[in-house]
Amino acid sequence: MASSLKALLVEDTAVQRMVLSALLRKQFHCEITMAENGKEAVDMFLEGNTFDIVFCDKDMPIMTGPEAVGKIRAMGATDVKIVGVSTDFEAMEAFMSAGADVFVPKPIRLDVVEPMIQEVINKKNN
Amino acid sequence: MDYANLRRQAASLKRSLFDQGYLDEQFCQVEDLQDEASPNFAEEVVSLFFKDSARLVTNIEQAMEKYPKDFNRWDAHMQQLRGSCFSIGASKMNNECTSFRNSCREENAEGCRRSFQKVKREHAVLRQKLESYFQLLRQAGPARTTAVRSGGK
Repeated sequence: MASSLKALLVEDTAVQRMVLSALLRKQFHCEITMAENGKEAVDMFLEGNTFDIVFCDKDMPIMTGPEAVGKIRAMGATDVKIVGVSTDFEAMEAFMSAGADVFVPKPIRLDVVEPMIQEVINKKNN
Repeated sequence: MDYANLRRQAASLKRSLFDQGYLDEQFCQVEDLQDEASPNFAEEVVSLFFKDSARLVTNIEQAMEKYPKDFNRWDAHMQQLRGSCFSIGASKMNNECTSFRNSCREENAEGCRRSFQKVKREHAVLRQKLESYFQLLRQAGPARTTAVRSGGK
């Protein structure tokens, strides 16, 4: 599946960034931007960057994922699909309350990501 | 050198890592991300994992020493390590990280210490086994296809 989707990965752990970025790049040909915490992610939106999809971890230094999601939605970025990601299922409520579209548990699986990516592609093409 | 035999040894070692619960399906997903452009991707990820996890283990150790019974702090550090374990499918390590976190929730310092020793032990064992695995793969080289020539004498 080819796409020109712009994906933002918000993740403080290098290993997780490496694996997820490779998955999105190789399987879906996404253009990847990375942020190491919620504040970096928010700053990217403040600088005028746009993304089609955001994968956001929950627990990060400086600013957590749900807090960043709340701020991103509050600045009017309502179209971007935001995926909350965590090893803890308890994080789902925090993400959804903050305005994420969906929550997926770690590790992120190809069969879980594929329909999401396809949905974003379809929406972009329509 | 018998490359086929080396490959068989690597495959057997990998199978045993799965059978003994050291690794889970996520490791296969990491290996599946290898291609011609990044033929050593799995080894690079694992190498980064051990570099990162060694640092995180040190952080936890220091936190346990410097902030006795600060279970929230201990838990936050272990959460990071657990996330890394998920990324490469380090299943046994992950289980011990979970035990540690459970002990944090129960505010059981002794339980945390015991679990942490197990985390360190599993970390060391997994490191040794994966180093052996990738060494075998390196020795075996890229998979070769052998053309079988049939011909008359």
